[in-house]
Amino acid sequence: MTRLEATRAVVDAAGDGPIVASLGHPSYDLFVAGDRPQNFYTWGSMGVASSIGLGLALARPDVRVFVVDGDGSLLMNLGSLATIGLLQPANLVLVLMDNEEFATTGGQPTPTAHGADLEAAARAMRINPTATVRTADQLRERLRDARMIVAKVAESAPTAKPPLDCVFIKNRFMSAIGNPESAVRHPQCHDHVS
Amino acid sequence: MGAPAWATGVCAGIHAAGSRDVVYVPDNPLSHVLRELGERFRDVRLVLATREEEAFGIAAGLYLGGRHPTVMLQSSGLGNSLNAITSLVLPYQIPMLMVVSMRGDAGEWNSAQVPMGRAVRAILDAIGIPHSTVESPERAAETVRAAGATAFATRVAAACLLSRQVTTS
Repeated sequence: MTRLEATRAVVDAAGDGPIVASLGHPSYDLFVAGDRPQNFYTWGSMGVASSIGLGLALARPDVRVFVVDGDGSLLMNLGSLATIGLLQPANLVLVLMDNEEFATTGGQPTPTAHGADLEAAARAMRINPTATVRTADQLRERLRDARMIVAKVAESAPTAKPPLDCVFIKNRFMSAIGNPESAVRHPQCHDHVS
Repeated sequence: MGAPAWATGVCAGIHAAGSRDVVYVPDNPLSHVLRELGERFRDVRLVLATREEEAFGIAAGLYLGGRHPTVMLQSSGLGNSLNAITSLVLPYQIPMLMVVSMRGDAGEWNSAQVPMGRAVRAILDAIGIPHSTVESPERAAETVRAAGATAFATRVAAACLLSRQVTTS
């Protein structure tokens, strides 16, 4: 399965729900698989996508939050698995696109190319159920119940990139999931009324 | 024994700024704030992070979900956080209140804390994060509240520094 095929499965599973994507190829493929306002594309902060998803899942227990992460990215923030395992958010689904390389930076192999097992890491941190999948059908099946999925994917060059305007991405995303910033109450704004 | 006055003030300031989520990496003085929040501000959610950069990511997600988050850290943790701050929090204009327990300022005994402690304000200036310093226990509540209120109104993260002089009082 290519990462794009795997990403399409996540978009289908998410329905109208939010998807947070790690920077670089995971974000690019999410845009190609289906640009939608409920996509939060990161352009930096490598490693932090699962943490953003966790915060969102805590703030919005009423929605199922999907995170599309990469193996190189998660390895920068492995502690995130411990925090997710500690808090056990039932509405967070972490999908790890494991291509066993730093594809965005030129294809350098990551430790998963040499056997590092990030599903086992998630299980060791008490995330459950977890899965490792190799086909799109397996992925679609496990997207129903698993909280962390390692999708072994083939690298494929993304064909487009999401919008570069970070504030646009944020505003569009927050409105689409029902938290428009304009509705956020700023008490001190009333200072200027009189 | 009750919480020291400065810690009670910090809690009141966080609450008055409208923040009900505190993502933190603990340090010794902040333990007073954490205890006070847990005992007397039961509507505040405490989220423990393993590392400061992770804390900023969680706080960003909380904001996207409609909350007004606070990140609480020791000054040494600012270094761990810079990539998340400069490539997520700032360019996406995701506001949060930062409460920073200072090390390396007056009274420091550990030389390993000094270089970062001395650099904190210059780093915050360099990346464009406004900061204020709690100079006395009596000023804690208002200084923290004002930093948070400005952050959430202007959508720029703002830091409130707790000097060692205050946190050891």
